[in-house]
Amino acid sequence: MFRNKFLVVLLVALAALALTACGSSATPTPAPTALPPTATPLPPTPTAVPSPTPITLTDGLGHTITLAKPAQRIVSLAPSITESLFAIGAGKQVVARDDNSKYPPEAAKLPSIGTLWNGLPLEAILAQKPDLVIAAEIISPDQVKQMQDAGLTVFWQANPKDFDGLYKNLQDLAVLTGHEKEASVLITDLKQRVNTIEDILGEAKDEPLVFYELDASTDPSNPWTSGPNTFISYTIKMAKGRNAGDVLDKPWAQISVEKLVELNPDIILLADAPYGVTPEKVAQRAGWDAIKAVKDGKVYPFDPNLLSVPGPRLVDGLETLAVILHPDIFCAAKFTQRLEQNLVAPVCQP
Amino acid sequence: MSKRLSSAFVLHLALLTLAVTLSVLMGAVPIPLRDVLRVALARLQGAPPPADIPSYTATILFQLRLPHTALMLLTGSALGVSGAAYQGIFRNPLADPYLLGVASGAGLGAVAVLAWNPSPALGGMFLLPAAAFGGGVLTVLVVYLLARVNGHVPTTALILAGVAIGSLTAALTSFLMLRSEDTLHRALVYLFGGAPLSGWKPVLAVLPYWLAGTAVLLLSGHALNVLQFGEEQAQQLGLAVGRAKVVILAAASLTAAAAVAFAGIIGFVGLVAPHIARLLWGEDYRRLVALSLLGGAIMLLLADLLARILLAPQSLPVGIVTALFGAPFFLWVLQRTKRHGGMR
Repeated sequence: MFRNKFLVVLLVALAALALTACGSSATPTPAPTALPPTATPLPPTPTAVPSPTPITLTDGLGHTITLAKPAQRIVSLAPSITESLFAIGAGKQVVARDDNSKYPPEAAKLPSIGTLWNGLPLEAILAQKPDLVIAAEIISPDQVKQMQDAGLTVFWQANPKDFDGLYKNLQDLAVLTGHEKEASVLITDLKQRVNTIEDILGEAKDEPLVFYELDASTDPSNPWTSGPNTFISYTIKMAKGRNAGDVLDKPWAQISVEKLVELNPDIILLADAPYGVTPEKVAQRAGWDAIKAVKDGKVYPFDPNLLSVPGPRLVDGLETLAVILHPDIFCAAKFTQRLEQNLVAPVCQP
Repeated sequence: MSKRLSSAFVLHLALLTLAVTLSVLMGAVPIPLRDVLRVALARLQGAPPPADIPSYTATILFQLRLPHTALMLLTGSALGVSGAAYQGIFRNPLADPYLLGVASGAGLGAVAVLAWNPSPALGGMFLLPAAAFGGGVLTVLVVYLLARVNGHVPTTALILAGVAIGSLTAALTSFLMLRSEDTLHRALVYLFGGAPLSGWKPVLAVLPYWLAGTAVLLLSGHALNVLQFGEEQAQQLGLAVGRAKVVILAAASLTAAAAVAFAGIIGFVGLVAPHIARLLWGEDYRRLVALSLLGGAIMLLLADLLARILLAPQSLPVGIVTALFGAPFFLWVLQRTKRHGGMR
């Protein structure tokens, strides 16, 4: 039967090819086909109500959770969730965070249950005696099940694909913590800022091509960037720009410097600036000086937390992008004063 | 001779008991010994845990630590016993359970599932271990079929085929990992070892393969001894060499595949546990296999304990700890044996 060794080798090779084709044509982690979470809206708890009504909410994985009252001992498993909780005024109800949650500074003072890179630190989470664990997309459904099996109540939120998704996530957190009023104020403010930017962007005459560099440390001639269908791509488009990474076929992928030279972006944003990458170092990379952005000196450091952490600071990200992409319109003080100055100064006062 | 042997077994069992006890008592969250005893007592009596003990104590002990300890015990012993068998068949001190591609095949299976990323409804949390197991077993099968010449399987051919297929699967694994960057970190967690799944289900899943494999291997001691004379000699001494090789390798590979399916790829234990047993208690496979079983379990339990408490609440990948601490310990045993004139 297996007399012909070459046949076996051929079969193995074919099987291997099939396996890789199967693996590589896989779509990236699909956003769960979310039934929009249904919230039984709570009237804001006035001071004299004796017994609160239970909270029922369906999360991004379709699990419906019920809390007798707003969660008081929350363990947050993602920086975006921690940020959002503090932003809606629920900071005091958070008892522990994951290691990466360092914003705002009050959050960094909370005990950490460790990082998530080597699996769930279940013991540490259990030891905090939480009444609610809130997880983001980085936690897989298997891990959610593990936590549920250990007796924990888990609420899972998908990363937002657009600003409406952000507002909905904030709204859900508000319901879970009993801070609907603050959240409503925050969301209105965020929406207003976004609308203001969008209105003024109507005056913008050009759509600069932007290269958003995530990481070039491993291979400067094949830097990592954000591809299509990422929040970064979406926000660059909103800021009336074009994302160079949109030519790729995966959300996170490498682009060769040859392709980059061919595309010739107008602006380069260094999201790896916190790791020591500077515009000067970029200019020294072989072949990069042929790119328009490098020639024009339009290589700027960027704070990746503004666009990678799906929390309220995404709006800061949009505003910062607007300044960088359209300095002629947005360099006025009223737009730049609330933003990180080290990001807008190189653009507005070169 | 037999007094020395029985003391060896007693020592191993004592160490194993110690390792198991420590593994249950210690972990990311400090739990006082009194609480452990009271909760255990309450559980034995069928009563609910005492009210003044934090509620998480019972959960941590019975749902996390106890099954995890059991899994590490099964995995470590599987790797030890499998390593002894491989070293016996190949008569090569560098042989370990991954020689014929079990680890690289399991890694490919696991990463393929992660890259494909099917909906959770499809097999749920057992899909990855099942794929890893299947990948490991399939790879060894392919290696075996490739190495077969006229009905028998020369060991050289096995090693060469194993190396070649192992390289192929490793390359495919790397390729898949780079293509699906969003699952890269989960893939690495598996490849460095560490058993991310908690609870009793993984233990129950591994148990049948463990029982079948270790039973066969524990009974293969005599055959392995005879094989040490060389295959031709062994054949003349009356051993059905071809069949013995296939049966022993199949059992060893199956056991190793079950071990890595849930625990990830843990290196060093399969290589070193048999060597330590050999250096201290000699080359007789009838006891070497059993001592490797116990030794492998002790090694992995202690390494896993260190992995969990060194940087608590963070846990290190076990595969890194086994090498980091196993290597110096092994060198110490080597030195000691050399000094006492044990090496030829």
